[in-house]
Amino acid sequence: MQLTIQEVEHIAELAKLDLSDEEKEQYREQLSSILAYAAMLQNVDTGDIPPTASVLPERSVLREDVVQEPLSPETVLQNAPHQKEQQFKVPIVMENGQ
Amino acid sequence: MTDYEVVIGLETHIQLNTKTKIFCACKADSWDDEPNTNICPVCTGLPGVLPVLNKAVVEKGVLLAKAMHSDIRMRSFFDRKNYFYPDLPKGYQISQYDLSLASGGYLDIPMPEGYTRRVSIHKLHMEEDAGKTKNAGNLRLIDFNRCGVPLVEMVTGPDLRSANEAAQYLIRLRQLLRWLGISEADMEKGHLRCDANVSIRPKGSDQLFTKTEIKNVNSIDNVKNAIEHEVERQIREVEAGNRVHAWTLDWDEEKNELRKMRSKETEADYRYFREPDLLPLDLTQAWLDEILADFPELPLERKSRFISEYKLPEYDADILTGERNLSDYFETAVQQYAGDPKKVSNYLMNDVLRMLNESGKTANQLKLTPAYLAEILKMVDAGQINTSTGKSLLEKVESSGRSPKSIVETEGLGLVSDDSAIRAVAEKIVAASPKEVETFRAGKETLIGWFTGQVMREMRGKADPKLATQILLELLKK
Ligand SMILES: [Zn+2]
Repeated sequence: MQLTIQEVEHIAELAKLDLSDEEKEQYREQLSSILAYAAMLQNVDTGDIPPTASVLPERSVLREDVVQEPLSPETVLQNAPHQKEQQFKVPIVMENGQ
Repeated sequence: MTDYEVVIGLETHIQLNTKTKIFCACKADSWDDEPNTNICPVCTGLPGVLPVLNKAVVEKGVLLAKAMHSDIRMRSFFDRKNYFYPDLPKGYQISQYDLSLASGGYLDIPMPEGYTRRVSIHKLHMEEDAGKTKNAGNLRLIDFNRCGVPLVEMVTGPDLRSANEAAQYLIRLRQLLRWLGISEADMEKGHLRCDANVSIRPKGSDQLFTKTEIKNVNSIDNVKNAIEHEVERQIREVEAGNRVHAWTLDWDEEKNELRKMRSKETEADYRYFREPDLLPLDLTQAWLDEILADFPELPLERKSRFISEYKLPEYDADILTGERNLSDYFETAVQQYAGDPKKVSNYLMNDVLRMLNESGKTANQLKLTPAYLAEILKMVDAGQINTSTGKSLLEKVESSGRSPKSIVETEGLGLVSDDSAIRAVAEKIVAASPKEVETFRAGKETLIGWFTGQVMREMRGKADPKLATQILLELLKK
């Protein structure tokens, strides 16, 4: 299972990462070997096993619709590198400002 | 010139009116709150926290699915929709993908022209909202209050055939959401959001052509307006021999025009997978029965029933079933009154609706209860008060909260039906009008109206006019 450079570029784009050519090559090798390792699972015959979403015992976990105290805005923003008007301030990530 | 058919599908996001968010206990409605005041570690995606599903979200979702005639899945799943965007602190949105709460369904839209458009429902699932971002120069400010607010996303099939039909769909959907009590459905406040997929095709074709997607429209009028603009634009393009491109368009309300946002060159790649932090959602039959136990008669069913049961004109029935409280009010008043339902309708359509509009109240909040309205109608019918007193009583009851009967008594608004009091006045009038009496006796019997008028004036409108006429005739024909 060998990823192409185009696939690496696509994954980087989804994560909004700007990679150099060396990094693309480096991640291509690393990601490929991780995928190859995970691909061993494909060898197991799962034909008669229904897809499993969770291995926890089946039970219904639901919450009543009752409001609880939120965090204070000071706590929320205390680790924010940049803030303004009680809001997080971030650079624009999309090319057209969206 | 080719005739074109318009093909529209609507994607709506409905904000449920639960008290708390979908996966945490933060207050859901932040409309009046400062930024970043209704958030916690769960909805801001801090490490080590787990989402817990809000029961009320499921219940409201089930009500909507039922109203849409959808099949409700007894077991559904939540999935992660992965994308990177600053309003999404976790880096993924918890949504439902392939096995959502419900599948299929439809909504029938009665058109003002008289036909009904059946709109199929392609998708109906629960999900969490993202935060809000706004531009500040070359930076963006982020408010996470809206993160985790419960939404139902509902997508129609490409079944709508005009901008008008799209507008009617939204009008009926809004009515239904409020009727079910599951969303405030206020488009200006973003409780009901709508994106429209629009394409055209030569009439008679059943192919689907390239569509564009209109986003960010915040009122029903604007949805209609934007679709009309876009249909005209697509026809112009095709007529000029050009292709329609799969653009995403943004509606600019101020300029009344569409703007191209971004072309969809890269196919969205959300890498959905099952949400490992949530268990499958299992509905039991008992719970489902409990949720649906009070499932109401829906607006269009109630409208037809009002027409057949109470013989209301369609116009009245449509307005009286526009809102659930109003239609309950009407029906209670009709039962209490036990007279002609159309009379109740007239009072509601002329006076009570104005009262509601002016006060911003809903019908169930009026001090003028259906029982009081019925009481007023009965007093008018019995000749205890005249019609104009009846109308003025509506306001008086509403402002004081007192019963119509007690207001009539303390303010002396009742019609005098005391024979001797009216007789005394009538005798006085007859004695004071020798000329008119002569003319009457000479055969001009229509003058009786004038005599009655004189008595009514003398008694400041409080005489029972029927009784007054009867006494006058007696005196004049002596
Ligand atoms: Zn929260």
